[in-house]
Amino acid sequence: MRRPAPATVRWLILAGLLLAWELVPRTKVVPELFLPALSKTLAVLYEGRAEYGQNLLVTLYEVGFAMLIACGVGILVGALVGGIAVLRNLLLPVFSSLYAVPIVILYPIFTAWFGIGSESKIAFAGIYGFFPVMLSTAAGIRTIDPQLLLAARSMGATIWQQIARVIIPASIPTVLAGLRLGGALTIIGVVVSEMLTSAAGIGYLVSRYRTILDSPRVFAAVLLILVLSVLFDLLARWVERRTVVWQTAGRQGRTIAARTPSPATATPAVA
Amino acid sequence: MQQLADVTPGRVGAAGASVEVAGVSHVYEGRDGRVPALEDITLTVGAGRFTVIVGPSGCGKTSLLMMMAGLRRQTSGTILCAGRPILDPDPQRVGVVFQEASLFPWQTAMENVEFPLALRHVPAAERHRRSASMLNLVGLDGFGGRYPHELSGGMKQRVSIARGLVQDPPVLLMDEPFAALDEQTRMTMGHELLRIWSQTSKTVVFITHSLTEAVYLADEVLVMSARPGRIIDRIEVDLPRPRTYEMMATDRFGRLRERIWQQIRKPD
Repeated sequence: MRRPAPATVRWLILAGLLLAWELVPRTKVVPELFLPALSKTLAVLYEGRAEYGQNLLVTLYEVGFAMLIACGVGILVGALVGGIAVLRNLLLPVFSSLYAVPIVILYPIFTAWFGIGSESKIAFAGIYGFFPVMLSTAAGIRTIDPQLLLAARSMGATIWQQIARVIIPASIPTVLAGLRLGGALTIIGVVVSEMLTSAAGIGYLVSRYRTILDSPRVFAAVLLILVLSVLFDLLARWVERRTVVWQTAGRQGRTIAARTPSPATATPAVA
Repeated sequence: MQQLADVTPGRVGAAGASVEVAGVSHVYEGRDGRVPALEDITLTVGAGRFTVIVGPSGCGKTSLLMMMAGLRRQTSGTILCAGRPILDPDPQRVGVVFQEASLFPWQTAMENVEFPLALRHVPAAERHRRSASMLNLVGLDGFGGRYPHELSGGMKQRVSIARGLVQDPPVLLMDEPFAALDEQTRMTMGHELLRIWSQTSKTVVFITHSLTEAVYLADEVLVMSARPGRIIDRIEVDLPRPRTYEMMATDRFGRLRERIWQQIRKPD
């Protein structure tokens, strides 16, 4: 028997899960309170589209703003900490330890400072997403091959040219990986803070419908967040693939080189 | 040898210039105080000559090369290139090829060769034309669109040589450029380098650990002592050019190689 492609298997597993989501509740083995059927969840989602849409906008606004802070400040601080030895020795251990602290503990304080509106969510999620962005930017800059900088210097690159033409492009892969992780954490931060204390947003809907035991509406909100997170991840991966062609194409490239061992006599393959 | 036929004969670019190193010493601050690395190095590399420097590991030959490139400042002494002192990297006077090809992985072969020109804001069309002619010189026609990871080790060093030559400097410094290559590729690359050298008439200063490579390539071999590095011998390689692989099996080649070996192993 031929083994199916991994992608096919992945889609089959997803389809199987969705099917189980539909069929298991119908057997009445699981009460609707625990797991409402997929069709019912989708139906209430459609019914309440105005409410879900409005709250989704709030969540998206908070996520967008928080990502801007996490990425902007994260890259800036990461670049400074990664590039300047004094700052690195001073701050990197502190930041690394802070990363391990459950920052969610600060959220109640943030609501006291910024109120229960969007500001407290943006502040909290922004800080939550800041750490991975900052740490991977610092790591990306710190791990640049010094040989590349030496080569650039030998070709007469000024310090600014070294930054613009070597340090920045060389650290892009690690920074992007950090942005993907930081972005995902930002979404988590926003949803969690909405669930804790708020008056709007998808997280708010989850906790409100949970308190009145309206399971289908809770699951409808969960489904939205699920889709949002997956879409973000797909987008981030796509950007990574597009920008870092030179890194991801590695294995394929080696076979090309192996096929044409004698460059001087080979016919041009690429124009 | 047939590779010679593929490239248009005739000289390419500006000819070589002399490099004069006078009384260069270097001391660096180590953990256990001041460590003398180079001691009173004086040497002259004639214009258009191929000079190879050999010496035990850690003797400071790479340091010396970095100083010739203006990438490191010596404690005392002067280094002149084309009659003017070298104080900072000057890619229009001195091109450098490193041990690892140190190509930028996010740029194609062509973009890598264009890099030094782009730093000086040379217009794109001219940049492209000059880089293409350099890639042609090193035998990489048609490979300009490849990324470094799509090239073999030897091809990467060819790109690196093209990049070192693209500003047409009279002097090319090479720091163990073929050390990371396998034996076969290394021989081919040595031969290719001689072809490129004979076409461009550059002055080449070449560092290696391989005595065979040294004798095969050089007009003159300089032997350095263990740290602190000093020049302890100067051996004129009077083998005829063009050099051929067959020469390696001759007595003359063997004697030259043996003489260098005796100098290097000599405890002092």
